[in-house]
Amino acid sequence: MKSLAELDKLREKLQEEMRLREGKEEVKVVVTMGTCGIASGAREVLTAILEEIGKRGLKGVTVTQTGCAGLCHCEPLVEVERPGRDKVTYGHVDEKKAREIVVSHLVNGQIIKEWAIK
Amino acid sequence: MMEELAHHILDIARNSLEAGATRIEITVEEDPAGDLMRFSVIDNGSGMPPYVLRQLTNPFFTTKSGKKVGLGLPFLQAAVERCGGNLEIQSDVGRGTTVVATFPYYCWDRPPLGDIPRTIVSLLVGNGHLDLRYRHIYNGHSYELDTREIRSRLKGISLDTPEVLIWLRQYLTESLSIFSGGGGYEIARRAG
Repeated sequence: MKSLAELDKLREKLQEEMRLREGKEEVKVVVTMGTCGIASGAREVLTAILEEIGKRGLKGVTVTQTGCAGLCHCEPLVEVERPGRDKVTYGHVDEKKAREIVVSHLVNGQIIKEWAIK
Repeated sequence: MMEELAHHILDIARNSLEAGATRIEITVEEDPAGDLMRFSVIDNGSGMPPYVLRQLTNPFFTTKSGKKVGLGLPFLQAAVERCGGNLEIQSDVGRGTTVVATFPYYCWDRPPLGDIPRTIVSLLVGNGHLDLRYRHIYNGHSYELDTREIRSRLKGISLDTPEVLIWLRQYLTESLSIFSGGGGYEIARRAG
């Protein structure tokens, strides 16, 4: 059973990790969450990405969301932006693909070209 | 179309964020005995002028650039109408917007409530600063979560840190499950 006391312990752990990471550049992951995205499964994709990042203990990754990108036919969309590299946009992402993007792109630095739309 | 009421709630609250809201109050009311399922989303965003309010359920109207349709509220309106429910929207420019959707509880055409913890956590991704109050009323009893309380315990750690959001989702799932006795009817609806 999760408790608020457990949250206090988590905070202490995160404060220590934040101190160690200070000044390092972040990788940015953006999920589009317009009506088209939500209806296509963007919420499930977003939480799968969070879970996979948490499971693997990845640090220095910022996950965020934005509105409709005008590519409704390709939803759900996930953008990955690594410092100093071009942004990669993945289309038709589902939970399974989202987890694989975390492993391949964020952990190993390998773009999954067949899922990238730009 | 949206599969869950929780998807509609996320969609409406996303509109609140796009309207610059810093505080959002989401309330879900389940009253099986009174055959009522209602949710409301209240924000302190920029609000809408009357000419926008008049067009809200027109799918070919949007205030956003780069697209020609606005489907969120028309989807919700359609879901409400399928069940003989009711959708009320009030808005004041500069003060905020209130959306209230009311459904009969026992109606097979009503989308199931769905995964509320996932919706709450999704809203907070990239929005760790957001004051979000979630209130769930079940059979007259009330459960409440306020991100201001969570944030005060985090003492500077952002609420939208992945580890914190994962904890929050589990915490909310367990709390709501205990609160509503497992929510058997709604879970059965999702499975069906």
